[in-house]
Amino acid sequence: MVQFTGIDYFWAIAYIILTVFSGALFYKLGKRSGADFFLAGRGLPWWLPATSNFATHTATDTPLWFSGFVYKFGMFGVWQSLFAGWCAISAWVSTRIFRRSLAGTQAEWQTQRFSGLPAELLRGWIAGWQIALNMFIAGWVGIAMGNVCKWAFGWPLWYGLVFFSTACAIYAMTSGFWGVIIADVQQGITMLLTIILVSVWASWAAGGPQEIVAKLHALGRSDMLNPFHFTGWFSGEYPLMWLITMIAVPFLGGFGMATHFDWFVEAQRIQSAKTVKAAAYSIWWGAAAIIVRNSIWVIAVLAFFVLNPDLTHEADYQLAWFRIGFEYFPPGLVGFFFAAVLAIHFSTISGILNLGAMYATRDIYHHYINPAASEKQVIWVGRFMTVIVLIGSFFFGLMVGENVTKWLFFALWLMIAGTWLPNILQVIWWRFNGWGYLSAWVANLGICWLVVWILPAYGLLPELPQYYQFWLLMLLVAVIYIPVTFLTKPDDMERLVKIYVQTRPIGFWGPVRREAERRGLLKKIEAIDLAAERDAAKES
Amino acid sequence: MPWIKRTWKPHEADEWSKEDWLAIILSPLSFILITFGLALSLFALTSGYIMLAAGVVITIIMFWIIGPKLDAISSEYESKQQEYLQELEEMQRWEEK
Repeated sequence: MVQFTGIDYFWAIAYIILTVFSGALFYKLGKRSGADFFLAGRGLPWWLPATSNFATHTATDTPLWFSGFVYKFGMFGVWQSLFAGWCAISAWVSTRIFRRSLAGTQAEWQTQRFSGLPAELLRGWIAGWQIALNMFIAGWVGIAMGNVCKWAFGWPLWYGLVFFSTACAIYAMTSGFWGVIIADVQQGITMLLTIILVSVWASWAAGGPQEIVAKLHALGRSDMLNPFHFTGWFSGEYPLMWLITMIAVPFLGGFGMATHFDWFVEAQRIQSAKTVKAAAYSIWWGAAAIIVRNSIWVIAVLAFFVLNPDLTHEADYQLAWFRIGFEYFPPGLVGFFFAAVLAIHFSTISGILNLGAMYATRDIYHHYINPAASEKQVIWVGRFMTVIVLIGSFFFGLMVGENVTKWLFFALWLMIAGTWLPNILQVIWWRFNGWGYLSAWVANLGICWLVVWILPAYGLLPELPQYYQFWLLMLLVAVIYIPVTFLTKPDDMERLVKIYVQTRPIGFWGPVRREAERRGLLKKIEAIDLAAERDAAKES
Repeated sequence: MPWIKRTWKPHEADEWSKEDWLAIILSPLSFILITFGLALSLFALTSGYIMLAAGVVITIIMFWIIGPKLDAISSEYESKQQEYLQELEEMQRWEEK
C-alpha cells in the first residue's frame, strides 16, 4: 500500500483542480459551434494536435502492457509497441487524403467515398460501432486506473474507474474538444517529464545504465538487449513471422484509413489542424513522441527487471513502471507521480468521451435524426452524449475487470484483422465499392469472434498464435468481400469523380481520373491555380 | 532539373511523385531506427548511438524532401476549402444538389 504525506495529497488534489478548471476555461470557445465543440474550429497549428495525439495515446493501461512486454521479452517486446508505426506512412498518405476530404468523422467519410444505400448504411454502422468502441476504450482505460488504485491504495476496483472518469467528463462536457486539446498540452508535458524522471530514477536505483547491462549479462539475459533475436521462422517464443506481422501490418496500414483503431482518434485531430501540412506534421510528430516515450520507458522496465528478476505473474510485472514511481520515489514526489498518472488517465478519457459523443451527435443525431438542427442543439446533444458515453464506459470497464492485457490484444489486432485490407482498398482502389466494404465489416464481426473465442472454446480450432489468427482472419473475410465487390455495381461515377478531384487519392483510380479529365475538372483546377499564382506574382 | 524537386507549382504538387514515395520509405525506417537507437543509447551501447544518428539523419532528409511539396499542397487546397466545407454541410443536412 502506498502511503501519502500531506505534500503528496496536495499534488494530487491540486492537479485534479488545475486540469478540470483549465479544461473548463475554454467553455466559451467550445460553445461557438459544432465545429468548435468537436474539432476546435478546424484551425489548430500542428503542434497542438501532435501533443494531443501523444497525450491521448499515453493511457493508464499503456505502461501496464508495455512493462509486461519488455519485462517478458526485453527489447524484442518493443516491436509489439510499434503499432504507432501506421502514422509513419499515414502522415504522408492517408492523413493527407482524409484531411482534404474534410470529413468530421470516419463515418462521414463513408458518404463521401461511397454512394447510395451502402454509403448510408456504412455511415450508420461505423458511427454505432464507434460509439460502442469508445465506451469500451474509456471503460478499459478506466478500469486500468481502477486496477492501479486497487494495488496502490487498496480501493475497490470501481472507485478508480468512476471517480476519475467523471472528473474528465466535467471539462469534456463543458468545453468539448477545445477543453480536451488544451488540457492535453499540459498533460502531455507533465507526463513526458515524469516518464523521463521515472527512467532516470529507476536507472539510478539499479546502479546506472552500464550496471543494468552488466546485471543482465550476469543473469544470463543479455538477449533482452537484442531487438533482433529470433527463434526461427515459425517456432519458439520469438518467431520471425511474428516480427514480420508486427512490422507489415501497422506500417502498410498507413496507406489506408482505420487500419488501426487509433485512427479514429487521430482522424479528429487531423481535421482540427489548420492546413493539410499541419495535419500531416501533427500525425508524424505525435507518433514520433510516442516512440520516443517507449524508448525512454525501456530503461525503466529493464532496471526494474534487474532489481526484481524473479516475478513470474503478469499481474505483478506489468506494474513495473507504476511500482518504480510509488515504491522508489521519496515522500512528496510520490504525490507528483500520482498527479502524472492522473494526467495520463485524464488525457485519454477526455479525448475518448468527446470522440464517442462526436459520432453520436454528428453522424447519428445530426445526419439521421435532426438534419435541420441548429448549432446550439448540436452542442447540447454533444454534451448529453458525452454523459452517455461515460455511463457506457462504466459497464464495459467492469466487464474487463483485471484482464486488461488480454482484452488489449483482442481489440488492438484481432477485432480489426478482417477489415485491415478493405480499409486500405477503400483508399487505393476505385472499384472497391460500398457493398464490398460493408460486407467486410459484417463478416469480420462474426468471423473474429468465431476464430478467436468460440471455435477454440469448443475445440473446433486449435488456439493459434496471434499472428496466425491475424492472417487467417484477413483471408477468411476476403473470401466474402471480394466476390461481393465484383457481383455488385461500382459506386456512382459522379461521387467517385467528386472525391477524386477533392482528395486526390493514391493508387488505382485510372477510370475515375480519366472521367475527371474528360469533364475538364483537373484542367479547371490547374487554371485556378495558375490564375492564383499570377495574382500573387502581380501583388508581390 | 535536380533529382529531388523542391519547387512546386500548386497543381503539380497534387500529383503523387517520387518525393512522396521517398518519404513513404524513409518514414518507417526513421521510426524503427529512432525507437531502437534511443532505447539502446540509453544503455550507452554503441549500436544504439549509430542507429539513433542514422534515424535522425533520415528524418531530416525526409522532411527536406516532403516539406516543400506539402507547403504547395496546402496553399493550393486552402483556396478551395471553403467551397468544400459548404458542400459537406449540404451532405450532412441532406441538401446535396
